[in-house]
Amino acid sequence: MFRNYFKIAWRNLLKNKVYSFINISGLAVGMAATIMIGLWITDELNYNNHFKKKDVIAQVYQSQAINGDVGTGPAIPRPLEFILREEYADNFKHIVMSSWEHPRYLKYGETNIYTKGNAMQEGGPEMLDLKIIEGVKDGLKEKNSIMLSKTSAKTLFGSDAAVGKIIKVNNLDDLIVTAVYNDIPENNSFNEMDYLIPWKYYVTKQPWLENAIDHWGNNSFQMFVQINENTTMEAVTSKIIDVKKNASVDEAEFNPQIFLFPMQDWYLRSDFENGVQSGGRIENVWLFGIIGLFILLLACINFINLSTARSEKRATEVGIRKSIGSQRGQLIFQFLSESFLIVILSFVFAIGIVLLFLNGFNNLASKVIVFPWTNIQFWLVALVFIIVTAFLSGSYPAIYLSSFNPVAVLKGAFNAGRYSSLPRKILVVTQFTVSIALIIGTLVVMNQIQFSKDRPVGYDKEGLIQIPVMSNEFIGKAEVMRTQFIASGGAIEMATTSSPTTNVWSNRSGYTWEGKPVGFQEDLAYTNVSYEFVKTLGAKIIQGRGFSRDFPSDSLGVILNKTAVEYMGIKDPIGKYIRDADTDVENREPPLKIIGVIDDIIMQSPYSPVKQSMYAFDNVGTASFYNLRLNPEKSTAKNLEIIKNVFKKNFPDTPFDFQFVDEEYGRKFSSEERIASLARVFTALAIFISCLGLFGLASFVAEQRTKEIGVRKVLGASISQLWLLLSKDFITLVVIALLIASPFAYYIMGQWLQKFSYRVSVGWDVFAIACFGALIITLITVSFQAIKAAIVNPIKSLRTE
Amino acid sequence: MIKITDLEKYYKTEELQTIALNKLSFEVKKGEFVAIMGPSGCGKSTLLNILGMLDDSDGGSFIFNGEEVIHYNERKRANIRKHNIGFVFQSFNLIDQLTVFENVELPLIYIGVKKAERKKKVYEVLEKMQIMHRRKHFPQQLSGGQQQRVAVARAVVNNPKLILADEPTGNLDSSNGNEVMDLLTELNKQGTTIIMVTHSEHDAKFSHRIIRMLDGQKVIENSLI
Ligand SMILES: Nc1ncnc2c1ncn2[C@@H]1O[C@H](COP(=O)(O)OP(=O)(O)OP(=O)(O)O)[C@@H](O)[C@H]1O
Ligand SMILES: [Mg+2]
Repeated sequence: MFRNYFKIAWRNLLKNKVYSFINISGLAVGMAATIMIGLWITDELNYNNHFKKKDVIAQVYQSQAINGDVGTGPAIPRPLEFILREEYADNFKHIVMSSWEHPRYLKYGETNIYTKGNAMQEGGPEMLDLKIIEGVKDGLKEKNSIMLSKTSAKTLFGSDAAVGKIIKVNNLDDLIVTAVYNDIPENNSFNEMDYLIPWKYYVTKQPWLENAIDHWGNNSFQMFVQINENTTMEAVTSKIIDVKKNASVDEAEFNPQIFLFPMQDWYLRSDFENGVQSGGRIENVWLFGIIGLFILLLACINFINLSTARSEKRATEVGIRKSIGSQRGQLIFQFLSESFLIVILSFVFAIGIVLLFLNGFNNLASKVIVFPWTNIQFWLVALVFIIVTAFLSGSYPAIYLSSFNPVAVLKGAFNAGRYSSLPRKILVVTQFTVSIALIIGTLVVMNQIQFSKDRPVGYDKEGLIQIPVMSNEFIGKAEVMRTQFIASGGAIEMATTSSPTTNVWSNRSGYTWEGKPVGFQEDLAYTNVSYEFVKTLGAKIIQGRGFSRDFPSDSLGVILNKTAVEYMGIKDPIGKYIRDADTDVENREPPLKIIGVIDDIIMQSPYSPVKQSMYAFDNVGTASFYNLRLNPEKSTAKNLEIIKNVFKKNFPDTPFDFQFVDEEYGRKFSSEERIASLARVFTALAIFISCLGLFGLASFVAEQRTKEIGVRKVLGASISQLWLLLSKDFITLVVIALLIASPFAYYIMGQWLQKFSYRVSVGWDVFAIACFGALIITLITVSFQAIKAAIVNPIKSLRTE
Repeated sequence: MIKITDLEKYYKTEELQTIALNKLSFEVKKGEFVAIMGPSGCGKSTLLNILGMLDDSDGGSFIFNGEEVIHYNERKRANIRKHNIGFVFQSFNLIDQLTVFENVELPLIYIGVKKAERKKKVYEVLEKMQIMHRRKHFPQQLSGGQQQRVAVARAVVNNPKLILADEPTGNLDSSNGNEVMDLLTELNKQGTTIIMVTHSEHDAKFSHRIIRMLDGQKVIENSLI
């Protein structure tokens, strides 16, 4: 019996090649998309799975309210460590202070690399379960030690033993390699951590780091903890939430809240809104999960539509089977086994498609997903997936086909009934609703990105490079280097900054100025810059002037951005002073004179308003970057070559590292662009699958109406009239889909855009494009069959045999 | 009205070539009623399709109303067809999804007659065919005879100069068949030229002239008047 069913199913497959092709390719593409999305979601959900103690590790976070706005982040002050160690020690297995991940020069012999690493306290390697392949686990005990990742050890020492070797760090200090650990795999936090240096070494490197030891207001550090087994994250948080508030009278006004942010949430739920956790990447997981299910649904709909549409052809078979005694249940079983056959075949093709495109997908999604051949769990899920798909697509056709009345069917009086095509129409509308909604969604995402990219940045980011100079040998060299760079002709101007043009590394408060409202808690982005800052960047002066060598008093000058002037409420800012509000007169810094106001430049998110910022003259040499305006007369390659030569002449042992500022700026869009390109791909797939189904239906309808078309043609219908006749029904369906999809997409995308304060409005043009696109695609798909049917010679279709 | 000379038509299939029409020649004058007879497979339907310009010939000449139409393209032929020729088929070929009225109305739509005018003409011809009361029915709800009357109504609604009928009574019993033959005779009397393929000697007697065919050739012609 079973074999008989499969035989018939197989023959049907071979006999109706177009139909089988549409069914199998549609399902295969749909399943492939779903599998890819499934793999992607698994990968996202498995982030940080490398860490065995994932559920007991947390980062200590802090919320603070500034002028009523609650900001939340990982930056905490140093004294927090001592309070936790002294008063709350029994809650923690490990308390590990850490620096931010920062690049440093590591030099051994002739090899000098510039790479990122952390400074951590001794417990770090154990807490993170670093796998030591050489040396000791507690390799951060001695102040002059360093632990290397396998990759960096290999770069520095080749195949030689690393432990015991001495490395020069930032061309200054000698550190002894105490251990080599396996690289932390991608898809995990700390995966770029190429080395670890001792916290106690790090904090002695700069005076401000040492001074921070008892400074509750200096939130410049990170802290990771592992909690004890007998407690929970919530319990610990409730104990420590007010430690900072209670410890520091000055800070209490910001209502600081200290809490544990579990490692489980680091990657997927890292957004905070007004101090409350509010999602993050998990939203994309949901989004793409839903898209994946929809695409599968589209493919199943094709199957359902084509099977029921073709029911007339199967009617006789059903009639015969019933008349020789087959029961309805058996017929249902037969048709279901047919859908199983098709789904299994499609699954095999789907795996092929996944293997073929996994690389491309990885590139698109910035992932390194490998196909889980040996993962039993995967195959079990795949089995369930096949069963679900087969039932989803096979049940309705099976029930429908098996319901035919044998007497009527065999008399040839098969009449599917007036409304028999209604479910098909509803399903086609569903397909196109999904596709059109996806088109609109993708267009909105793309528009939003373009809109933000077109936003004026406030300076000329083209032809501008930055050279990181956060190492001791650069101290005090800026002026000399500027003269040399300009003389070389590779650059026409240079300025130093204490943070990159595309980010803010420091925020300041504790100022006072004329007209400052009582109780106002200011929060200003703070950057130290050199004389030619405005000129180098090409920023726009609105009032006053830039720093100038002609005015010695400029060394205590400050430039504000437009937003800062409005924010601080200073009228006629030029010549006014911003003063240190420190109550301790001894410690008070000299007042800063406002010499100029520049138009806002976007340093942070291109989707948010520019933050109020001050650019103070750098009179202590805190330069972190040389910003160079390349010579527009020469090619970029030539300029870079010249600049590199100048650099190498002055710092022969230091690798020449630089970034194009426009590229750095472009990175701000990468996560949205990734979403956009994934959305584009899945939209294209959805459209493809829907069109495949439409094509199948159109050919079915054309076939069904052959006789009618023949008659009409004999009576004088032109090809264009017939084309219209055959296409119009489908166009109607797509128009209905448009009417459903548009308000829906409008609402959803409106919600999505809420998270950007600088955003496009969802304009009519998006709908016009989606509308026009959908109709054109439908027409092309349907017309092929319609025209084919219309040009057939009617005597072929009307032959009475 | 129609003059064909040495008309040829071949059908090529994988292994053999069928000669459906073999240098066939004859003439039909305006107002004539011609019956074409012959055994199954002798090429009658093929001939009618060519005369109706639904199909190409493979050689010879075909003059319609004094014009050589053998090399006309699809568009020109369709144009001649929709203004001049009405078809009646053995299997009626009505469109199942349309009512009687709508079926009959179709040719008028395709030649661009206005709506009110269409209604008038369709009613006229339905009246004449005595199926006015059935105008809102669908083809499946009619008997064979009634269906063929609708088909004839549709063939004549735009007053064609020529009616081509391929076994119009083939699917009908004799009384229904006679009804249809009476209709055709009536139309012929009003001046319509009719060429009819039939297997029935009885039906052929309604015509003026019988052309007998065998293997794609004319074998004999008998005039009945
Ligand atoms: N599309 C075709 N392909 C191949 N051969 C064809 C085709 N149409 C007709 N023929 C052949 O051409 C010959 C003439 O066919 P035609 O249909 O004109 O016969 P007929 O005289 O109308 O027969 P009947 O009285 O049975 O309707 C036959 O031998 C037939 O097999
Ligand atoms: Mg015939």
